Amino acid sequence: MPEDQEQKTAGGVETPAAPSSNPLASDPELLNDFILEAREHLTTIELQLLTLDQDPVNKEAIHAVFRGFHTIKGMAGFLDLDAVRDVSHEVETILDLARNAQLAITPEVIDAILASKDYLGRWMGALESMLQTGRAPEINPDQALIESIRAVAKPRTEDPSPQRAGVEGEQPVVAAPVVPAALDLPVPPAAAEEPMVSELLDLAREVASLEPAEAPKISEAPAVVARSIKVDTGKLDYLVDMVGEMVIAQSMVRHDPDLSTGLKPRLARNLSQLARITDEVQRTAMSMRMIPIGQLFQKTARLVRDLSRKGSKQVDLELSGEDTELDRNIVEELADPLMHMVRNAVDHGIETPEERVKAGKPANAKVLLKAAHQAGHILIQISDDGRGLDHKKILRKAREKGLIEPNAQLSEAEIFNLIFLPGFSTADKITDVSGRGVGMDVVRKHLQKLRGRVDVHSRPGEGTSFLMKLPLTLAIIDGLVVGVGNQRYIVPLFAVREMLKPTEDAISTIRGREEMAMVRGTLLPLIRLHRRFGIEPRFQNPWDSLLIVSENGGKQFCMMVDELIGKQEVVIKSLGEAMRNIPGVAGGAILGDGRVGLILDLEGLFGTSHEAGSGGVLVDA
Amino acid sequence: METILAGPANAVSQKVEHRAGKYLTFQLGNEEFAIQVLRVREIMGVQEITAVPQTAGYVKGVINLRGKVIPVVDLRLKFGLPELEYTQRTCIIVVQIQGAAEKLLIGVIVDAVSEVLTLQANEIEDTPDFGDGVATTYLLGMAKIKGKVKILLDIDRVLSSQDVSGVGAF
Repeated sequence: MPEDQEQKTAGGVETPAAPSSNPLASDPELLNDFILEAREHLTTIELQLLTLDQDPVNKEAIHAVFRGFHTIKGMAGFLDLDAVRDVSHEVETILDLARNAQLAITPEVIDAILASKDYLGRWMGALESMLQTGRAPEINPDQALIESIRAVAKPRTEDPSPQRAGVEGEQPVVAAPVVPAALDLPVPPAAAEEPMVSELLDLAREVASLEPAEAPKISEAPAVVARSIKVDTGKLDYLVDMVGEMVIAQSMVRHDPDLSTGLKPRLARNLSQLARITDEVQRTAMSMRMIPIGQLFQKTARLVRDLSRKGSKQVDLELSGEDTELDRNIVEELADPLMHMVRNAVDHGIETPEERVKAGKPANAKVLLKAAHQAGHILIQISDDGRGLDHKKILRKAREKGLIEPNAQLSEAEIFNLIFLPGFSTADKITDVSGRGVGMDVVRKHLQKLRGRVDVHSRPGEGTSFLMKLPLTLAIIDGLVVGVGNQRYIVPLFAVREMLKPTEDAISTIRGREEMAMVRGTLLPLIRLHRRFGIEPRFQNPWDSLLIVSENGGKQFCMMVDELIGKQEVVIKSLGEAMRNIPGVAGGAILGDGRVGLILDLEGLFGTSHEAGSGGVLVDA
Repeated sequence: METILAGPANAVSQKVEHRAGKYLTFQLGNEEFAIQVLRVREIMGVQEITAVPQTAGYVKGVINLRGKVIPVVDLRLKFGLPELEYTQRTCIIVVQIQGAAEKLLIGVIVDAVSEVLTLQANEIEDTPDFGDGVATTYLLGMAKIKGKVKILLDIDRVLSSQDVSGVGAF
């Protein structure tokens, strides 16, 4: 009987993760599925725990956490992962008490469950590396953790339950019937009731969305539930690549000179049908890489909880726009900067409850994380209602560290921008979470890599707000195709301020070498692209050529090219390992005629050209 | 007799064994070179190449290989031979080499592709020592077929990624 087995192993017997005789346990595919599924459950568990932290009596959340641990326990038992099963079992015990209202969900309980969740997360990592390296995982059963879980499992004193008093700390006999071994036992009604309700609700929603004719199908419940499949991201990237190729091939056929004259109506119709379908396929392929930003926000929720408990601050995290979708690659790249900024907000921005009350603010501070789409971009706002940035302090620190001239006059925006300089920190003391002066410069670097920008707004005493603007996807950019000599280059549209054909008297030279162009009353340095790249241009005079005005680090400059060929959305391709870090080149793209065009990195072009590699290579599409 | 020779003979035969196999031969100037067929992904005619600034002179640029952007190297220039106008016979051999982090595809421009040869171990000789200053590390060996010498190239070494980005030697 599975129950017997459970009682034996869950009773605190330390079972090392020895190689087992169970053939299933060594099946890499099965193990891999387990890791994937368990990770999903752990994510849900963390999310629900944070909900519980706010709303300790949320039944639905308790059940969701219970279900997660229960499933992991079942699978772990199946795979002979005793340590995983034991910890899950102990947590299940607490949760069972909680859902029977015999244990209040206190922050301590949540701490213990979060710790178990982290422990299981480490196990998944160890198992994964075991699959890769073939070495046995080096995580030992954590008896201390189990003890700490048991410690919180003691039923509340104000809710004495004679039945339970005798079993605390030991294998809880009471819990056993409601924790079946997940595999073969029919779920006892007591345990299954609530989950079933939610499943029924899901089902009801399904039914509501179904066509009347399909209604009878609802009896096949599993078919309705399985609505997504897991796909290897490599395959997905390849698909997106190939779709990009298809779009180009399609446009090449369409613009073929042989087809442009005297097109018969039927062929024309078929061709435009093909164009429509290609377009649709491309859009679908792109959308497959999009994921909601919510899971990233959720990670910060955990961070805010940990930080505020550690720093004895009271912080309410408010999330908005979690459903906003953006490219998977961006979500991954965004994780670090977002963590840094939230950490900064809680650690530096927010005062202790006493300070807040003294300043006439509510003791609970608010941190707002908000995402929204705006004109092909995503905006992410991180605001706190803490003490705000201190102009004077920032200026003083910057002068101390020699980051600015002692008597430099800076505008407010320029002062705030100082915090993004490497080595800058206004924290008076270094805590273990922040204050070492790394952070905001990392944030800016990351965002630049993502072709995004960040703005700061702050008022003393009222709080600080960071606004990040990012492209929706790294795979595609809007670009201007420009020609220089017989070469074509793509200028990312986001970097372009304006374009103009200067008059002859707008151009002046300094010391006969450096050239300047007068644009709207301002003298801007002029960079001749053909000189930088060593190609023969069609025009030598700037007034015959086209000037592209761009901005880098607050400084504007003009880039001289021969002509503008057009505007095009291009799929960004890396030039590969062999051609990484070419100053001024951000990557390549396949143009409409199938040839490769280089995407310019204006920052790298304008920035000191000897600083090789600073231009940064765009992430491979 | 056999037992006495077993040791050294084995070592030699293993090295030679490693080199035996199918080779694609091509022309460069007056010489015939050969690379292992297993490394060759495809052969194509010369297409329009997009020049990439600030790379070494022998790097002609990049091409679109069915959606992948790959670098193209002119082997004539790489070997210090005079540049030649591309003709109908000029080919780009796309080879796979082992880069620092991943496998890379690189196009190699040669004067003309000749044939695929199966070389037996006993047909391959070690590269002769030319004395000081002559780099032979990128050569696998020499093969004499019907009185003509084929130079076997170690394509990984010829096209190590540093070289392509213009940082390395040459």
